Amino acid sequence: MKSPPPSLAVEGSREDRKEVGMSEERKIKILVAKPGLDGHDRGAKVVAYGLRDAGFEVIYTGLRQTPAQIANAAVQEDVDVVGLSILSGAHLSLVQRVVQNLKEKGVGEKMVIVGGIIPQEDVARLKEMGVAEVFIPGAPIKTISEFIKAKKESGES
Amino acid sequence: MKEELEKIAERRKQWEEGPLKKAMSRFPYLREPPTKFYTPLDTPDFEFLEKVGFPGEYPYTAGTYATEPLAGLAKLAAMARKGAIPAAGGLTRAGMYSGYGRAEDTRDFYKQRISRGGKAGPNLAFDLPTQCGYDSDNPLVEGEVGKVGVCVDTLRDFEVIYEPYQGELNIDKIASNFTINAPANIFIAMYCALAEKRGIPLEKLRATPQNDIIKEFIARGTYIFPPRPSMRLFKDSLVFITRHLPNVNITSMGGYHIREAGATREQDLAFSMAIAISYLQAGVEAGLDVDSFAPRFTFNAFGGSMEFFKEIAFQRAARRIYARILREKFRAKDARSMLIRQPIAAHIGPSSTTLQRPLNNLTRTVLGAMAGALSGGPPAAFPPYDEPLGLGWSLEASQLMEDVGRILTCEAKLLEYSDPFAGSYLMESLTDEIEGAAWKELEKIEGMGGAVAAIENGYLQREIARSAHERQKRIEEGRDLIVGVNCFTGEQELEVTTTRLVPHPYDPQKRERAEEEQVASVKEVKRSRDNREVARLLGELKEAAKKEDENLIPKFIECAKAYVTEQEMCDVLREVFGEYKPAAI
Repeated sequence: MKSPPPSLAVEGSREDRKEVGMSEERKIKILVAKPGLDGHDRGAKVVAYGLRDAGFEVIYTGLRQTPAQIANAAVQEDVDVVGLSILSGAHLSLVQRVVQNLKEKGVGEKMVIVGGIIPQEDVARLKEMGVAEVFIPGAPIKTISEFIKAKKESGES
Repeated sequence: MKEELEKIAERRKQWEEGPLKKAMSRFPYLREPPTKFYTPLDTPDFEFLEKVGFPGEYPYTAGTYATEPLAGLAKLAAMARKGAIPAAGGLTRAGMYSGYGRAEDTRDFYKQRISRGGKAGPNLAFDLPTQCGYDSDNPLVEGEVGKVGVCVDTLRDFEVIYEPYQGELNIDKIASNFTINAPANIFIAMYCALAEKRGIPLEKLRATPQNDIIKEFIARGTYIFPPRPSMRLFKDSLVFITRHLPNVNITSMGGYHIREAGATREQDLAFSMAIAISYLQAGVEAGLDVDSFAPRFTFNAFGGSMEFFKEIAFQRAARRIYARILREKFRAKDARSMLIRQPIAAHIGPSSTTLQRPLNNLTRTVLGAMAGALSGGPPAAFPPYDEPLGLGWSLEASQLMEDVGRILTCEAKLLEYSDPFAGSYLMESLTDEIEGAAWKELEKIEGMGGAVAAIENGYLQREIARSAHERQKRIEEGRDLIVGVNCFTGEQELEVTTTRLVPHPYDPQKRERAEEEQVASVKEVKRSRDNREVARLLGELKEAAKKEDENLIPKFIECAKAYVTEQEMCDVLREVFGEYKPAAI
């Protein structure tokens, strides 16, 4: 059984985070993950950097993550959000299994968002699985960060 | 000459202080002129024979060949890949990138195509488990079998795919393409095993395995083993092909995936050349004369973009740099060693397409096809406009893609002139600029010890990620404009959509069933083969893998014939070579 690869904390400066109104104690933590064998990681990296610039704390898992590894990392890093990037057409199967693994580890309430190449007709099914939102190509990072912040706020109220 | 330039400089100064200044005064918010005008002042040292020369002659700036091969075929057009185009000697070339589900599904697709007159060999897309050295019944790959391509676990699957290729279309008459990298040698071996079973001499085989493992580590991600053992496997393929498969290409490389991953144009060129140098070096270190194998090196494509003029300049610079590397660094004597042989030249790059208003992608690819035709390639309107919509291009989009190439060739006659921008002050200046920037970056990488070293220290990966991030920032800040995405998105704009009306030849139900059926199939193969023989062969493979100088391809051929699975072979190699662990960026 392979051990999970080291998670990659995407560091930003304290000044960046203070500027966008997130203090050290309250910054939102997101795991950006590449489940399955899909090797196209430009989107995941760009989102990781972009959310870091927007004041989030970001952990990027790198490629070839199993659903179990992703759920483990989500628990270990105690993230607020799990972001999945999939371009291989295997999104329905992979997302289902990530969500299941999160539930089994007792963290089923964590927000899950998905990006990549997701045909319109599959978005509803993903949401039924519990995905909070699907971000299609062209979605600005700002849309993602504002969505997460808004959900967090409404969740805490 | 110097006097002439001085006169022009003088007049330029007058123009800048006169009409240009006057024009600019009407746009006080612009810091610099929105258009630039190039003159002889921009290319003061331009020497035609040194910088351009003639098409098909060193330094190949004007073109790889003396004439563009498709220019004489006015009735047919589009990408070189298209099976309908007969090449010299009536032999056919590989068709469109294809493959899905199980071998039977892909076989039936090719059967259908052949029944409609298609004479091209298979241009095979494999699924991710296959590309990453896993069998379909491995729990790790659940959900991915048969999705992005056809699954191949054993020679049985290969035999099924090639069932329709008999007689006039047997594998001594058609050419095959395999988009396979980390386990490429296993697929070269399977093709040889298939030939041996059919009584076809290996020298007759024509194929191009992609076999460009280095780019996988930085752009495409279907790696298995670490870089250095991967280079041993590359050496094996180079030597085996050079010795036994004179009509098979050794590699199909190029910065296409690297650019798509976010690299800049200059990085695309520099990294491509660094990678090519690594592969060429492998052949030299194996004791072979460069001219014995370099003519079998090909390029898949470089990257593209919407910047029309710069992409044309890029192609010219690429040909010049590569030729210079072969001649000066590797001392190649044979002209064929110095050529960039690629099926397409400039293009827009799939990452230039948008999900929003997808028909605009057709417009974009017209531009790309024009750039292709004017940069020494065919007018390739790649990709089909519904690329961003998901797996599988619709037949409508594929049809229109072909028609763009035909219109540009037959109606616009863009192939009537070779390198039409040769001598243009703008184009020569842009070409020099891109070449200069690429050389500088290439020297930096060579200074680190070459492409493999620059991967082991994470440099290439970091640079690509940085460029991708910067591009995203430019888009989000509106400095880079994308129509329908970050501009012209107001309420008055019409979100024109498309529909796929013609049923796609890939049956979605078959794709859904593929995984379950293949799991059963591979179990059956494993049950009914001679498992003692398999165990013996795997033991031999392991011992051979430990010896750096032993070529593993003959072992793979034996394994293939005994229906050893791809993963079984790869697992042995994983034991000996280890698995690649990406560096943190």
